[in-house]
Amino acid sequence: MAGDRTSTAPPDTQAGLDDALLTVRAAEGDEEAFAVLVRRHAGALVGLATRLLGNQVEAEDAVQDAFISAWRRLPEFRGQSSFGTWIYRIVTNRCLNVLRARKPQAALDTAPEPAAPEHTVAPDRITEARAAVGDMRQALDGLSAEQRACWVLRELDGQSYESIADTVGISQQAVRARVFRARRHLTNAMGAWR
Amino acid sequence: MTTGTHPPAAPPPDSDDELLPCGRLLSQVWAAWEDAVTDDHQRTCSHCRQAIGELEALRTSVRDLSHGTEAPDGFAAGALAHRVMDVVRLELRPGKPLPLGAPDDGMWIMESVAARTLRAAASRVPGVQASSCRIGYDDADGTGRATVSLGIQAPLSSTDLAELAENVRGQVEVAADQHLGLGIARVDIRVTDLVDVPGSTEEGHER
Repeated sequence: MAGDRTSTAPPDTQAGLDDALLTVRAAEGDEEAFAVLVRRHAGALVGLATRLLGNQVEAEDAVQDAFISAWRRLPEFRGQSSFGTWIYRIVTNRCLNVLRARKPQAALDTAPEPAAPEHTVAPDRITEARAAVGDMRQALDGLSAEQRACWVLRELDGQSYESIADTVGISQQAVRARVFRARRHLTNAMGAWR
Repeated sequence: MTTGTHPPAAPPPDSDDELLPCGRLLSQVWAAWEDAVTDDHQRTCSHCRQAIGELEALRTSVRDLSHGTEAPDGFAAGALAHRVMDVVRLELRPGKPLPLGAPDDGMWIMESVAARTLRAAASRVPGVQASSCRIGYDDADGTGRATVSLGIQAPLSSTDLAELAENVRGQVEVAADQHLGLGIARVDIRVTDLVDVPGSTEEGHER
């Protein structure tokens, strides 16, 4: 996993084991097995949370809280789904709560700009790309928490409507309605800034 | 934009929806495109094609927001894992204490620690990995010995699971006796999965 490259932790004797095995061990109190799961899934989950929240600092906090919540709930985890699906759902719901708690428009001026590979892209292209991403982030901030979450999961994560409904805990019809409204808002915003 | 100049023939079911000049709802046009069920009308209607064009333009412009399943640039999984594990270690679930040696020796080991040792012992059998390891202790019979319930993943290539289980049992009993000093009355083994382990005759040892 990409995020492991910077880890300075010593090689773990459980690092090669599959998630199912590690999850059973962690549920029985093996914190070393849980640590392997954390390192294995952290990168993808922070990616997900960053897409949902538009802010990597908040995303890391959300993922950290989600893992701690997972550790506490593991004894009741019965393996109805994979660990990956389960923690994805916990992170998504944690992010939904963060979005709901945000003050409207609070993030308009604080949305971080993406790190561009400046040595490979011409300066005017960088400026243009940053402006476009900045505009899109502003437009995203105009969405409700549910609209934003459903749209990100559908458009950026490529999840099925059925999967999003399961994750967010609403009907597929409600997910479709939220994604539609998000797309309307965003296409309108794009039309305005063009 | 797709805003029509004609008044809608019927109120849209969703106040955010839009009736295109051709009489189709925007939500239906987008849904049909997304579900790849566009009909002849949508393929030729300029209003529908414009509406779909806007959705495609949106997709193009949000590509920069998506990192796929990769972590964002500069993210360090190790640092986050350390922060998580700092909290986890304050909330360990060590399980119950198990007596070591004779009942009156006053020596105990926590179940999760003993389980880790016994799982490692099971993995010394090539191709085997242990999942659940529950250790019970009942002194009702006066023997003061523990019972172990072990779940294992066995190699798909195994031709004699009974022999494999016996080997696992032997490793667990040796580890319990020699490494822990934990008296074992019985080791129950459940094969929870058969997995394809390449070169399983040479693997399976704790690394």
